[in-house]
Amino acid sequence: MELARTSRRKLSAILRYGSAVGFVAAALCLSLALRASFGNPAWFFFPAAVIATTWIGGRVAGGVAVLLSTLAVQYYFIPPVGFRINEHDLPYFLVFIVCEVLANWIISWRKEAEDAIREARDLLEVRVAERTAELKDANEALRNQMDEQRRTQEALQLARSELARVVRITTIGETTASIAHEVNQPLAAVVANADACVAWLSLNEPNLAEARAAADRAVQGATRASEVIARIRSMINKKPPERAPIQLNPVIEETCILAASQAEKNSVAIFTELDPNLPCVTADRIQLQQVLLNLVINGIDAMAGVTDRPRELRIRTRVQDSHDVLVSVEDTGIGVNAESMSRLFEPFFTTRAQGVGMGLPISRSIIEAHGGRLWAESILGRGSIFQFVLQSSEAGQG
Amino acid sequence: MKEQDAVVYVIDDDALIRDGIQSLIRSIGLQAVALGSAAEFMQAKRIDAPSCLVLDVRMPGQSGLELQRQLNSAGIYIPIIFITGHADIPMTVQAMKDGAVEFLTKPVRSQELLDAVQKAIERDREQRKERAELNAIRRRFKSLTPRETEVLNLVVAGLLNKQIADQLGTSEVTVKTHRARVMEKTGADSLAHLVRMTEKLRTSLQK
Repeated sequence: MELARTSRRKLSAILRYGSAVGFVAAALCLSLALRASFGNPAWFFFPAAVIATTWIGGRVAGGVAVLLSTLAVQYYFIPPVGFRINEHDLPYFLVFIVCEVLANWIISWRKEAEDAIREARDLLEVRVAERTAELKDANEALRNQMDEQRRTQEALQLARSELARVVRITTIGETTASIAHEVNQPLAAVVANADACVAWLSLNEPNLAEARAAADRAVQGATRASEVIARIRSMINKKPPERAPIQLNPVIEETCILAASQAEKNSVAIFTELDPNLPCVTADRIQLQQVLLNLVINGIDAMAGVTDRPRELRIRTRVQDSHDVLVSVEDTGIGVNAESMSRLFEPFFTTRAQGVGMGLPISRSIIEAHGGRLWAESILGRGSIFQFVLQSSEAGQG
Repeated sequence: MKEQDAVVYVIDDDALIRDGIQSLIRSIGLQAVALGSAAEFMQAKRIDAPSCLVLDVRMPGQSGLELQRQLNSAGIYIPIIFITGHADIPMTVQAMKDGAVEFLTKPVRSQELLDAVQKAIERDREQRKERAELNAIRRRFKSLTPRETEVLNLVVAGLLNKQIADQLGTSEVTVKTHRARVMEKTGADSLAHLVRMTEKLRTSLQK
């Protein structure tokens, strides 16, 4: 920018003084040529040359033009020819000089004002362009930042749901034996009943009533097996969370079935006390099932070392404050000490050798994402109770 | 006395399985009683007949293995066939050590199960016969007077009448009379028979 300005100034120095000489020479030529037909046109042409020079070349070049034209006029047009002057021509000549100086001054003043305005305008334009560019850059940066943030948010969301899925699968992994048992059990029922059916039909006098009853039970067993598989599939599936009004009691019953063999293995009896008038809650069924399964498996594990009292897990549901649904999972396990209690919901805190330590934090985050609360109480050596509250669908709408 | 028909108790918490197994067993003409838990079995009135248990290992409340231990410590000897979805070796070994007849995995092959049931009932039938015999011997031996018991012990130890009389400080004739009473009361038809019965009784007491 500065460089361009300097080179322009150099160029214009030649142009300015050249124009002074050029215009004055042109005025002289024209005046000499037209003297015969127009009296004395020098009085018009020279001021015009000064004006033109000043306009193009500025004040100093104009001054040069004034000087040159004064000399030319004095030499050629004020008789006698040469650098002498008649006394009576002196006033005219002086007026001429003053006029030329005035013209130079006024024009150069106008010219400078105009230049200043133009320069200011150019500068303003440059500034505006600069500011616009800056704003554009800032905008771009902001947009990038927003995109970045959105991507991070999405990644976080994805990671969270992936983690939830992993924990769900881990929970399932912990109950793999349970699942195998869960599928094997109805299959065993199918085999036993089908065998019985064949046996009744193979008698010398086939007993059709018994055969039919056995066949019916075989069908029931097969249906149960397929239900178990469908349930496991729905648990493992990577589905986006979807919320719908659901009944909690059937979810709890399914959870009990899923945990049944784990309970059997540990000789734990599961009891349910479910409020039949429980209102629906708006929630993601699979996520809630995950929470329940997690609490139930935790409860069963907590009772592994208990020998002096019955190992019992109680799951209760009831309505609280007329529009909330309360679910509690109570065990008669070893309980949780005060120190562990305060860290119970911290990620990666676990008391189990194979525990991941994510079950409870994720359970809590799921319940909280549903606008509910999950908390625990425990008496050391007596057992623990985990409870959560969710708003019923009706309350949520109102 | 005519022997009662054999009874098989099927204990499984899964209704479909226990009904299926019960039906299968009834189809071969045996009586079968289906029960949902160990506790139900302990409360149920047991029929006095050759019987066996078809017992699920994993059950809520009391497990099958726990029931086996409980029955053993209560002196109730009833052959047990275990069925389980998943059997590990230590579990199987323990169950067999504690007197299980068979350890079958679910789904159970019907022929295996029925063979095991037959075997278990046969075993129980023999055990019952044994126990009945033993009880009869015990009853007869109980009717002996203290003096007769003394004579019996010495006879079985291989002493001659004369030596016995010496030891007890009585006459040989008196010993002979006691000896005849012992033979009569115990129903022994020879000395060898008497010795066998006494041995049987002693072994059972040692147990």
